[in-house]
Amino acid sequence: MEYVVSVGDMKLGKEGDLIITHALGSCLGLMVYDPVAKIGGLLHAMLPISRINMEKARENPYMFVDTGVPLLFKLLYEMGCQKKRMIIKAAGCGNPMGNNEMFKIGNRNYTVLKKLLSKNSLLIESENIGGTISRSVNFNILTGSIIIRSAGTEIEL
Amino acid sequence: MKNKHLHKIFANVKSFPSIPFVASKIFGMLDDEDVSAEEIEKEVKYDAGLTANILKMANSAYFGFPAKVGSLKQAVVLMGANRVKQLLLASCMNAIMDKEIEGYDLPSGELWRHSIAVSVTAEEMVKELKFNDSEDVFTAALLHDIGKLALGRFVKDEIKEIEEESLKSKSFVEAERVVLGTDHAEVGALILKEWAFPDDIINTVRWHHAPDESENSSRMLDIVHVANVLCLMIGIGSGREGLRYEVTQSALERLGLKLGHLESIASRTLHSIESLFIE
Repeated sequence: MEYVVSVGDMKLGKEGDLIITHALGSCLGLMVYDPVAKIGGLLHAMLPISRINMEKARENPYMFVDTGVPLLFKLLYEMGCQKKRMIIKAAGCGNPMGNNEMFKIGNRNYTVLKKLLSKNSLLIESENIGGTISRSVNFNILTGSIIIRSAGTEIEL
Repeated sequence: MKNKHLHKIFANVKSFPSIPFVASKIFGMLDDEDVSAEEIEKEVKYDAGLTANILKMANSAYFGFPAKVGSLKQAVVLMGANRVKQLLLASCMNAIMDKEIEGYDLPSGELWRHSIAVSVTAEEMVKELKFNDSEDVFTAALLHDIGKLALGRFVKDEIKEIEEESLKSKSFVEAERVVLGTDHAEVGALILKEWAFPDDIINTVRWHHAPDESENSSRMLDIVHVANVLCLMIGIGSGREGLRYEVTQSALERLGLKLGHLESIASRTLHSIESLFIE
């Protein structure tokens, strides 16, 4: 199956599935994979902290990093994934040009992610973060391979 | 290099499609207080696609009417002529913008999604900041990137040079100007002049990336400027140029926009935007 994750959403996949997300600007794309269970998930979260709109967070926890990331891990554990095998990769978190701190939502998304992971003793294995580019992600759940595309270029994460 | 394309670009503006006849006729009717809702409905009903699109948007979660808006006449009564005019324009833009935009790498439909997204975000910003003026931010936002339709193929031809310029700490729109001698904001304003749009809307489209360069500073312009960057950050309509745009600090100060406002607006717009997309 091929799944497309829109802004403020998350999809889980099993062996043979492909999970795609388009146009990560300042949003966080978080890819988590268990290579033994061959199960993974991709979260596309828009804003760092749910406190800004608790009602929306209850409706859709995937809109926020602080509610979306824990839920992604919880669901993966329920499907039999194990913490020690988890491979975590991150993409997105870009910012517009200039020094305006208010618009550095990408930086704030990344900071909240790092805090959450370190509190749970989890590490990011690789990442393609920041800058002023827009990124798309192709996450192959059979192999765990992740391809990032941006402005005509392509890299494997 | 600059002038190599300029002549062709401006010729392209002259030959740019005009607003459909039925739309321009209805615009005039909506401005005329003596024209009844029935007369407007009679005019639009011959264009089934147009009516269907307007009603779909009128019934979206964004407007949140408890009962179904079943006819154009009802829409005029419930929403007012001004809102119906905006939806009519949005529906016409859907037809004009619904194609792949080369150069900017926008797939078919994405420019329209972006335009509607900026309209909704701009209106949310008006609400969030408790402005009660009735400036037509919706229409200005809807049209802000129309220049990309005419400029796209020239951007495609010179994308290497534009990106090289952009790497020198220039925004994408500044790089367009260096390489092509014009940019999508100026081209957009020229198209709207051809279409005889009001000056405040043309001014907003012309300076939506550089509000401080306009001689006619306006709240509408500041709002569209900020709403556009926010939508690109959310990833709606960010193409080849990604986030290579800068927010003007003085516009934020004029609006009194704070961090809490920005993220609150972002969290509320997403659902509204999705509900307005015409398939």
